[in-house]
Amino acid sequence: MSAALLSLLIPLLTALILLLVRVRAGSLVILANATSLGCAALALHQVVINGAQQLNLGGWETPLGIRFELGPLTALLLVFTALIHLLVAIYAQRSRHSQTRDTDFWPLSCLLHASLGALWLSRDLFNWYVTLELLGLVAVAMVILSGPRSHVPALRYLLLSLAASLCYLLGVALLYGQYGVLDIRALAGVTSNDQVTRLALLLLTLGLMIKAALWPLHQWLPAAHAAAPTAVSALLSALVVKGPLFILWMLWDNVAPEELARQAGIFFAVAGIAALVSGGLAALRTPWIKVLVAYSTVAQLGYALLALGLLLYWQDATMSIALWLFVIAHGLAKVSMFLAAGEIQATLGSRHVSALKGASQTMPIAMFAFAVAGGSLIGLPPSGGFVAKWVLLQPLFLEPARWPWALGVLLGTLASAGYVFRVVAIAFDRADPNPPDYDPDVSAQWLAMLPALIVWAMALISEPLIEWFQEVGL
Amino acid sequence: MTSTLIYLCGGVSLWVLGLHALLVHRNALRRIMAVNVMGSGVFMVMVALASRDSAVDPVLQALVVTGLVVAASATAFTLRLATADPLDEDDQERK
Repeated sequence: MSAALLSLLIPLLTALILLLVRVRAGSLVILANATSLGCAALALHQVVINGAQQLNLGGWETPLGIRFELGPLTALLLVFTALIHLLVAIYAQRSRHSQTRDTDFWPLSCLLHASLGALWLSRDLFNWYVTLELLGLVAVAMVILSGPRSHVPALRYLLLSLAASLCYLLGVALLYGQYGVLDIRALAGVTSNDQVTRLALLLLTLGLMIKAALWPLHQWLPAAHAAAPTAVSALLSALVVKGPLFILWMLWDNVAPEELARQAGIFFAVAGIAALVSGGLAALRTPWIKVLVAYSTVAQLGYALLALGLLLYWQDATMSIALWLFVIAHGLAKVSMFLAAGEIQATLGSRHVSALKGASQTMPIAMFAFAVAGGSLIGLPPSGGFVAKWVLLQPLFLEPARWPWALGVLLGTLASAGYVFRVVAIAFDRADPNPPDYDPDVSAQWLAMLPALIVWAMALISEPLIEWFQEVGL
Repeated sequence: MTSTLIYLCGGVSLWVLGLHALLVHRNALRRIMAVNVMGSGVFMVMVALASRDSAVDPVLQALVVTGLVVAASATAFTLRLATADPLDEDDQERK
């Protein structure tokens, strides 16, 4: 447990130091992220050996105190968060186009890291509210780093995020008024299917769905994520929207009464398929590179929503594994895609998709990174995206009554293949290539490629990982 | 019990009013105020729930205090963001 706490405290401490003194910020943050990654890996190792661990903060027992729990999934997510932060920090430090070199990016990214760590470890409804607010405020502060032009989408994001938090908080107040506990484990045994519980769960779900940009409440995401500096877009898409998703999954999987969960499951699954199709179509139509990548996040979150819906509908625990494999595979692939898109867009001097003409010739490594990451989003074997999709599809083929859901997955795959190949096809149009404004930066392009290579390597470790999850549960 | 009920209904209606204003208005300042009204509504519900028994529930009151701190800092940040003039010197420097 102490290793997990260290992985949370190191970024927090680094952020505080950077607020006071700003010397060699980039190197310091990279060092902090690497140490945090080491601690998170140690925590994961301890969980593998000793199983889940508990910590009551300050020694107070649960009705009054706050409980942290380090389970298999939490440990894995801590490693995932630290890894993504490390990869993005190295890119932000190294690339001349990152727009973040001497800005407040460094303390803010550390604060983001710490708030996410606290979110994964918490098991308390109100503590989650605090981490959600932290996450929202830090995310907006990071969006406006790219200058005054981002103020309008940032303000829209902030107001929606605050309203969503208050929606969530009203739900928490109702649940506490009904049952008198905030701890998720204490709530799990006592909830009944009455009207107050239904209303509270509706409010909690609405708030969390806005924050996680789940269809049909995703409209704020493309503008906000595309307006942010490249390194920030990568962090927002890979990590920030996954925090509320974690709480949503925890709530419905543990707290919701089974009968209600089955009814909500259908809604979540249908919304997931709608997200896959509508996000994919919007990505096919948009003229801007980064908006395309942002819409692809909306679409990919559809897989997670579909997995959540089917988990609730069939009460099948395999779907939880599929959900979190999707989240991790999407996070890594999306970091790569955003970094590659940002690097290409800055070097070629245009935000337009049509400016990518001939990019396979002028910026081959970045374009390759985009295609490799896209391959995982489509679900080509043996990438991480394929493994997640395989785990999702296997239970679907068991009974003929479940086959229509596989059709939804197929539609989503077609849509993602559509927008990835749209970009790749333009990039291979070498007849009249768009000349770059600057010399392409080879090492920055390789840094964009790195997360995509990791997501393809996920296939190598996913079998023991899935077996471990099936054995001990999440 | 009746006074608790009145405060509960008052809190919920404040929350709904705030939500309505947030959805209807386009002006940034009005929307910020709408979010604050929503916040006050939630806190009123929580305080009403805390004092429904003769013994006041300290957990809910602690939650309200924490919530107020979060709400105040969020409002400060929102106001700064909403009033930032694109031609502000501070922003010019940042470019």
